[in-house]
Amino acid sequence: MQDERFNPMTIGTQSIPMRWTAGPLDIAKRQKEKDFTPEAAEVLRKWLDPSLLALAQGTPVNCLAVSWASGLPADAEQQQALKPLLEKGRQAGLDFVGLIEGSADKTAAIAAARSAGLSAVAMDAVPPGDAGIPVIAWAKSGPALWGAGSPVLGVADGLWPGVPLEKTPTGGPTNLPWVDSNGALLGMAEALAPDKTLWVFVDPPKQAKLTPENYLLTVADAEAYGGRWVISLDAQMRADLAAKSAPALASWKRVTGTLAFFEQNKAAWSYERMGRLAVISNFSEPDREFNEDVLNMLPRIREPFRVISRTRALAASFDGLQGILYMDQAPPEPALRQKLIAFVNAGGTLFASSKWPNPEGAPIQVSSAEAYLLFNLRNLGKGRLAVAREDKPDSYFTCVDVQSILSHRGDPARLYNGASMNYFFQAAPQGRQAVIHVLNYSRRPGGDNPIIYLKSPWRTARFVGLETTAPVPLQFARQTAPYEVGGAELSLPLISVYGAVQMEA
Amino acid sequence: MKKKLTRREWLAGTGAAAGYMLMRPALGFAAALAPSPIPVYGLTAKAKPGRVTVGKCKDYGSDLVPTLDKMFDQLGGLEKLVKGKTVAMKVNFIGVRWQRLGNATMEDTFWSHPIMIGAMVHLLGKAGARKIRVVEGPWSTAETLEEVMLSQGWKPEDILSAAPDVEFENTNFLGRGKKYSRFMVPGGGVVFPGYDRNHSYEDCDVFISCAKLKEHAATGITLSMKNIYGTTPITIYGQGAGIDEPALRPQGGRGDVFHFGRRAPSKSAPQQIDPNFSKEQGVRLPRIIAEINSSRPADLAVIDGIRTATGAETNYGSRPQAAVNPGVIIAGTNTVATDAVAMSVMGFDPMADRGKPPFTDSDNMLRFGEELGVGLRDLNRNEVTGVPIAEARFDFTAIREKILRETKKT
Repeated sequence: MQDERFNPMTIGTQSIPMRWTAGPLDIAKRQKEKDFTPEAAEVLRKWLDPSLLALAQGTPVNCLAVSWASGLPADAEQQQALKPLLEKGRQAGLDFVGLIEGSADKTAAIAAARSAGLSAVAMDAVPPGDAGIPVIAWAKSGPALWGAGSPVLGVADGLWPGVPLEKTPTGGPTNLPWVDSNGALLGMAEALAPDKTLWVFVDPPKQAKLTPENYLLTVADAEAYGGRWVISLDAQMRADLAAKSAPALASWKRVTGTLAFFEQNKAAWSYERMGRLAVISNFSEPDREFNEDVLNMLPRIREPFRVISRTRALAASFDGLQGILYMDQAPPEPALRQKLIAFVNAGGTLFASSKWPNPEGAPIQVSSAEAYLLFNLRNLGKGRLAVAREDKPDSYFTCVDVQSILSHRGDPARLYNGASMNYFFQAAPQGRQAVIHVLNYSRRPGGDNPIIYLKSPWRTARFVGLETTAPVPLQFARQTAPYEVGGAELSLPLISVYGAVQMEA
Repeated sequence: MKKKLTRREWLAGTGAAAGYMLMRPALGFAAALAPSPIPVYGLTAKAKPGRVTVGKCKDYGSDLVPTLDKMFDQLGGLEKLVKGKTVAMKVNFIGVRWQRLGNATMEDTFWSHPIMIGAMVHLLGKAGARKIRVVEGPWSTAETLEEVMLSQGWKPEDILSAAPDVEFENTNFLGRGKKYSRFMVPGGGVVFPGYDRNHSYEDCDVFISCAKLKEHAATGITLSMKNIYGTTPITIYGQGAGIDEPALRPQGGRGDVFHFGRRAPSKSAPQQIDPNFSKEQGVRLPRIIAEINSSRPADLAVIDGIRTATGAETNYGSRPQAAVNPGVIIAGTNTVATDAVAMSVMGFDPMADRGKPPFTDSDNMLRFGEELGVGLRDLNRNEVTGVPIAEARFDFTAIREKILRETKKT
């Protein structure tokens, strides 16, 4: 339900935001940085030039986020300096969102924003009384943000997606690398704030040598999961675009082309995540870190999953699930516990934290070869209750054990030849259409075509991607060898950043 | 009698003299890779001639079992070896299981084929093996081998039912054992004096290395000798191994401990003899592989070259590699002789030393296996039967060159 303190806004699902870094306030905020040069300041001044709005014209970008107030002396100068840009932009049909942060006088900043005709402001606090202007909650992810009343939530601690080599100490030709993705964040948001649009705020890393694919991946990593990246360009790209450099303009065209691609293929936004496993949590303390880790780990071990808010779990459907991971320290309320136990009795496997009181069922003696498992297993009805042995188990090994206990025999899907890729599966509510999203965090296509295995093949499949101009029909190769358990495989074209398999039943 | 040399003595013996490591950059790559002219181990006299047979089999169809059966007869018969015995058969599931070579499946390229495993189990059962344990330490996991097979869409139950008493064990860790078993290197070793392993390698009366016919990025080849390298538990020799005691579960690969000597194995296991021993994998791995082979020699080696991959042991992405169908199987009574024949089938010289393909970046592990008394690599000193090598030859170098030519064209 919408909070009365937040006015209805034109900013919403259809808004495609871009961080328009320009003006005295952005200069003031950077002045203390060691590598900030007079040339960089000049670029930020240039971006006040309304003629640069041509960059957004004819592109899906329709909303610009500008620095509005940070509690610095430059606040007033910024608001003044932005006037020509705002006027020209509004004439071009663009929305403007003013970013209010730090020690800014929120009441004054909101009043100024209202007076300047901004479409909304974004701020990290609940607006004082009736702001008289739409307010986007903009904060680090957490219960306060998920519970905010605005229809758009701005998450301030987004990740710059990619393969951070420093996080893969055991990486190598025979190991899956770690990837940074906003998928977990967006999965949580989808469960905890299902009627909201999430804007991911993340700036390009400084010192990094960026390629256009970095931007394409950041767009795709948000859009595929149903969110929006608030496009943020690095200083060099801003300088090059201001100078109308042809390579920079070509790169920008690819970024906006990627946005257009997702606009054309956004039917999947209404689809539901599919997987044989559901993670149930409210992602609040003290369980947040563990559960968020789990959402990051599961894609790396190729386990498709759904996320269900604990608050909504009683009303959620458990159809199609083989396992449920309920690792919150607090036991579920009686009705939910009853529902979870019914799920187990019907044949499912429930993974519960060590705090699960009075576990139901009879203990299963695991073989000595499985003594390492982080769970004690119990038979219950047709299913199993797996209770964690440790209060704070390792999140990676927890995921591995969950997968092992569920068994690969029931894998609904697998991805081969995608070491640096994550994938996830969505289906339309009626189950007639489905899509498998594949994101490549290395931003390089690799030498081998990705292969998707599906236990239950669909009638038709086609591939759409950033590197294909038209959908590519795909053929299911059935597994028919005598030693194979069945199912079928799809060989996909090479994927540098993003591709999707669209299927019909 | 084995002459035990310390690392320093060995260096002095090579003529590189003291300060080898310091001089290495100035000497340059080729000089640093110069083969040792004198024996590193010195147990060659212990090595007995082996019997090796070559069979041709175009696929994993109905010809496979009769072909293997005939080959084992040529080796003296399986029954003589396994009747009433507990057999451990080490198969090969190398690398990340999600990375194939193009569309080709793992079993058609880098991994032991399930039908080959099933056929072997069937023949071992038929020959009267009391218990057959299929063993392997798949990459960085404590999952059961059934699960690993299921992740590739195989039916593990077909293998389990191919003979009366069959079980799987993941030997990356303690598994079903209560303690690790220790295997000492004859003569004391050069890199490690001994190696700790899962109980399965001690509990068996007969040990079989069931490998794949492949090249290897670091060691030139990976055949029945290199397959046995994978018997070492990751909990002791892996990147995530415990410092004092073995870790509870495996994590990572053996790169840090074995390839590059960046860290020691868990202190509970025998430690590196000379902490300053070379950190170069081309020096370390062939010795370590030979030492592991000598510490528990295989009683039978079987190399599946029906379908495999050229270029490397797993998909590196950047190497010229191809899925191929040599249609050949090599089996023998020891790993050195069997690998020597397999190398010859691949178009390589088993007597080649460092600098000559396939040992461009590495010493020849067969040489050290011979020096440790495991077997002889000179084809003329072994009994080679079955299909003549020339008829079975499948030139791996030619495939690589063809790929490179085609890559250049495109």
